[in-house]
Amino acid sequence: MESNTGALVIGGGSTGTGVARDLAMRGVDVTLVEKGNLTHGTTGRMHGLLHSGGRYAVSDQPSAVECIEENRILRDIASHCVEETGGLFVKRPEDTEEYFETKLEGCQECGIPTEVLSGAEAREMEPYLAQDVDRAIRVPDGAIDPFRLCVANAESATNHGARIETHAEVVDLLVDEPAGTDEAAVVGAEIRHESGTGSRTHGEQTEIETIYADHVINAAGAWAGQLGDLAGVDVAVQPAKGAMTVTNVRQVDTVINRCRPKGDADILVPHETTAILGTTDEAVDDPEHYPEEQREVDLLFEQLTDLVPILEDARTLRTFWGVRPLYEPPGTGTQDTGDITRDFFLLDHADRDGVTGFTSIVGGKFTTYRAMAEEISDHVCDRLGVSADCRTADVPLPGSESPGRLDDAMDRYGLRSPIARRSAERLGSKTEAVLGTDEPNPVVCECEAVTRAELQNAIESAGSDLNDVRIRTRASMGNCQGGICAHRMAAELSPEYESPTVRAAHDELLQERWKGERHALWGEQLAQAALNYALHATTMNLDRDPARTDDDPEYAAFDTGPPGHTAGTGDTTAAADGGRPTGSRSADEEGHDGD
Amino acid sequence: MFGHAPDDGDESDETESSCGCEAGSGESDGSAESRSTSEVRSDGGEPSDERRPTSELCSDGGIDADVPGDPGSAGGAGSHPSSDDEFEPVQVFPDSTEQDLRPGADSCYKCSTCDTNCPVAEVDDEFPGPKFQGPEQWRLSRDDAPEIDDSIDKCSNCMRCDHACPTDVPLSQMHNTARGRYVDDQLSKLSIQYLRKKILSNYGRLGRLGSLFPRTTNFVMGNRAVRWITDRTLGITDEREFPEFATQTFRSWWDERGGAQVQSEDRRVAYFHGDYANYNTPEVGKALVRVFESFGYEVAVPRQRCSGTPMFANGMLDDARRAATVNVTEFDALIEEGYDVVCSCTSCSMALRQEYPELFDIDGTERVAANTYDAVEYLRIHEDLREELADAETDADDELPDLAYHAPCHARNQGLAEQALEVGDAVEGVDVDDVGDSCSGISGTYGWKSKHYDTSMAIGDEMFDHMEDSEAETGMTECPTCAMQMEHGTGYDVRHTLELLEATLVGEGEAW
Ligand SMILES: Cc1cc2nc3c(=O)[nH]c(=O)nc-3n(C[C@H](O)[C@H](O)[C@H](O)COP(=O)(O)OP(=O)(O)OC[C@H]3O[C@@H](n4cnc5c(N)ncnc54)[C@H](O)[C@@H]3O)c2cc1C
Ligand code: SF4
Ligand code: SF4
Repeated sequence: MESNTGALVIGGGSTGTGVARDLAMRGVDVTLVEKGNLTHGTTGRMHGLLHSGGRYAVSDQPSAVECIEENRILRDIASHCVEETGGLFVKRPEDTEEYFETKLEGCQECGIPTEVLSGAEAREMEPYLAQDVDRAIRVPDGAIDPFRLCVANAESATNHGARIETHAEVVDLLVDEPAGTDEAAVVGAEIRHESGTGSRTHGEQTEIETIYADHVINAAGAWAGQLGDLAGVDVAVQPAKGAMTVTNVRQVDTVINRCRPKGDADILVPHETTAILGTTDEAVDDPEHYPEEQREVDLLFEQLTDLVPILEDARTLRTFWGVRPLYEPPGTGTQDTGDITRDFFLLDHADRDGVTGFTSIVGGKFTTYRAMAEEISDHVCDRLGVSADCRTADVPLPGSESPGRLDDAMDRYGLRSPIARRSAERLGSKTEAVLGTDEPNPVVCECEAVTRAELQNAIESAGSDLNDVRIRTRASMGNCQGGICAHRMAAELSPEYESPTVRAAHDELLQERWKGERHALWGEQLAQAALNYALHATTMNLDRDPARTDDDPEYAAFDTGPPGHTAGTGDTTAAADGGRPTGSRSADEEGHDGD
Repeated sequence: MFGHAPDDGDESDETESSCGCEAGSGESDGSAESRSTSEVRSDGGEPSDERRPTSELCSDGGIDADVPGDPGSAGGAGSHPSSDDEFEPVQVFPDSTEQDLRPGADSCYKCSTCDTNCPVAEVDDEFPGPKFQGPEQWRLSRDDAPEIDDSIDKCSNCMRCDHACPTDVPLSQMHNTARGRYVDDQLSKLSIQYLRKKILSNYGRLGRLGSLFPRTTNFVMGNRAVRWITDRTLGITDEREFPEFATQTFRSWWDERGGAQVQSEDRRVAYFHGDYANYNTPEVGKALVRVFESFGYEVAVPRQRCSGTPMFANGMLDDARRAATVNVTEFDALIEEGYDVVCSCTSCSMALRQEYPELFDIDGTERVAANTYDAVEYLRIHEDLREELADAETDADDELPDLAYHAPCHARNQGLAEQALEVGDAVEGVDVDDVGDSCSGISGTYGWKSKHYDTSMAIGDEMFDHMEDSEAETGMTECPTCAMQMEHGTGYDVRHTLELLEATLVGEGEAW
């Protein structure tokens, strides 16, 4: 299979989707390939802070200025992904006055609006702040949902004619090296579509596609070095991991930063229904395989309970790690990853390495993804000879054209008020189109208040990929972590998808949930995991379903029924339902028990 | 004048004028920093939740990756010892009823036990149930959008959910606080719904009026035309008879008899009668006094206001706070002098013991909560009640009928569902039949609202059936509104457990 495109973007994180949208809006024919889901990489594993720039106002003022500019733009063009929480830089008695003043001045120099609050005023805003916090600086930090943002960018790109392929990995880059010259050109890539092209369906045949492109953009984040290798150029990305722990409820509604020189574990971000503690910073060799250690989690709690003591007792849902795609220009020789700049770098391989048709983008921050995308798109357009202006700062993303209509959402869609409000917050201007269904619309995920209509809408784009459905809707991201709703989500795939596909999708979702849960398994979440296990084992036989294990069921181990009842008359029957008369259900029936 | 009876004997003092004078007192200490000291259910015995080290897990490990199970293997075990599992809700604004209860949702693991125990959810498909109403709704809430779903109005505040939850989610606190927010934010102060809540929850005012002119009031309230009008205009159902006002209130009886007849230094109880025993069933109050005096207790009847139960149930938290402030102040002063507090109504004891500490931060709340008892419970703790009943001289066989007993939900919540049966068992010649553990369905003022009448009766059905099935033709319970419902559904006469004690031990009281 072969195809042609103007620009081939590798990577479906904030950078890649941002570039795809920008180029598509300028009329460039774009294809984006991503080896996992959108946000599979670092973008799906970050802290969710829409920086005001306050964090960099002392150490890196150009970054701070860029942050506040982009912060303002995103509130506008991505309003349904941003929650304007505001942020506080909180000073404890042991933090110095000097730094507090320096921070304040720094913010002012960078044009970041500030307000100084007394300890009491800060606690009035955030009642769970520590009693001895003595001052705070209020800044316009915000919370941003990276999933929704990337999906919206991809959707916008598609609306402008782009082709977005997920579960499509670049396995090789096509490098043209005319014999007898020392020139080289990247002319395309070989793509492995794990389950065919288009939206994902589990179990579809793997396909290999060759895509020829006029220009290839390497937006593979921490993996950018690997793609550089495929083109024979050196991209020295230093992956640095950071841990984050998610609590069950929001202890705060404002972003809480510690007012001291940049350090580890000093930010608490309210995120949707939860709060996220973060983060740490440590160099790792491989962006995909690195140790996830308990001491990192411990550090988060140790540090952040100084600011918000109630975290000590907070229920935690999961812990996850992300890797920063830090880039060090050759020869800088910085030792500590904390000191490596958070700035981004555009590597023009034609100038740098004599390889044309190929640009890499490394470093940077989520908050400034749009500005990065603009710069890259300018560069690519220049190479492609396209002259069109960037419009991404002015045109709202799909979903952010107008605020979600809350007022009558409840009555119109027959939803209870917190459910209507959460749905409208997620869906933004699409609320009406998605929820305005004539079909019955029950709540499928209770923790996050996600209804069937929203799930069905996500399935239209995500196919049978329930993890993709999850990141679009937040279904299964609440306190039961899918215990009560994962199978209901899977059931939503039927009858469109066949039973084996539904099962595979369900398994994959549960695996993914478990992956993050196991690092935060104590107290209430441990009880939750035990209950989930019991529910899944007893209602769906998920732990040892003979239909999956190929083992022969031990019929003798089953209840023989009430005394006097002749057991075992039907030879294929097992009274899995707790001793119903035999013959009622055969072992190869695969129905999911609903609830 | 004996003991601690009110010195002026003027009841109007407790109801109307008191609202004005304590409005500023007792609450002004609630500041942003002051935390409500919720200590309820400190026995909630979750195993300690030390964080478990999971060292060096590979990031892409699947479900069967090697999760290390040794809690002592790596650093970090116990490095975040958690004092106990309780969270302390914080008062979000000074002088307000707003509390941040989101962390209370941490204990919920969505087992739905609360939903299966909710009598309203059982009969009303439109009611989303306590799990949604409590932890789910709180978890989804934001400080800037304190929207509470309308369905909170369907919860009867029976608190069965609170009792059923295996992990001590503070459901009743969540419902009460949510109801308060709902009434504050979403109900227009002029709406009919608000007016109805105000009337039903401030029973004491109606009661005082009723007692000044009991016969007129009884006549007016019993008048079908008047009831039809209240139904149409206020939404108070015309299916029910308004309770009759007694011709003499308990308090005026108390004053007339000259207060306490027994003095004691070490046996002292302060009686919380609440509005209902005062205005409508003074025989219950009299029974309590006579029974306690027969055991040699000095009884005090201090100034007091409604316990607040109907106000919680109607979301009138400001009214409830004012009433609670009077009650806590008065009773705390007596506790200081060696009194314990006894109640004849199980909803009143529930309010003093559990709801006050959950909702208010009034000085002395904790002490009052710790020293409050249901009257029969108190005697069972301090006296050999079975023995006394068994030895009683009175010939119960001749005088007393068999009884169909219903344990009020609020008695159940305090672990008191069985006590009346044991008491009855000790009285020779009287059979006390348990009519099962269903809810009566009236839940205070709930069943008084026209829109809830059908739900209320549907919930009550099971109890009515069991009462009909029982041999007994007289009912017994400790909650005045359950008694109304029992009477309404079966036509039986309904008595209080204290009246049974009185008849057996003292031989006085109203005729059976
Ligand atoms: C712990 C942590 C916390 C952070 N917190 C914040 C924050 O609060 N605020 C903020 O502004 N920034 C934050 N950042 C930084 C921010 O997350 C990143 O800068 C940003 O997400 C990078 O996006 P990206 O698109 O460049 O990379 P990625 O999101 O990693 O995208 C690269 C994509 O390329 C794909 N890919 C790789 N190889 C291939 C291949 N061969 N074929 C196809 N696809 C491939 C990957 O699957 C991946 O999805 C944080 C970073 C970390 C690590
Ligand atoms: S019973 Fe308790 S833990 Fe179970 S769902 Fe209800 S509130 Fe949650
Ligand atoms: S208090 Fe009673 S009616 Fe209200 S939710 Fe709980 S169980 Fe249901």
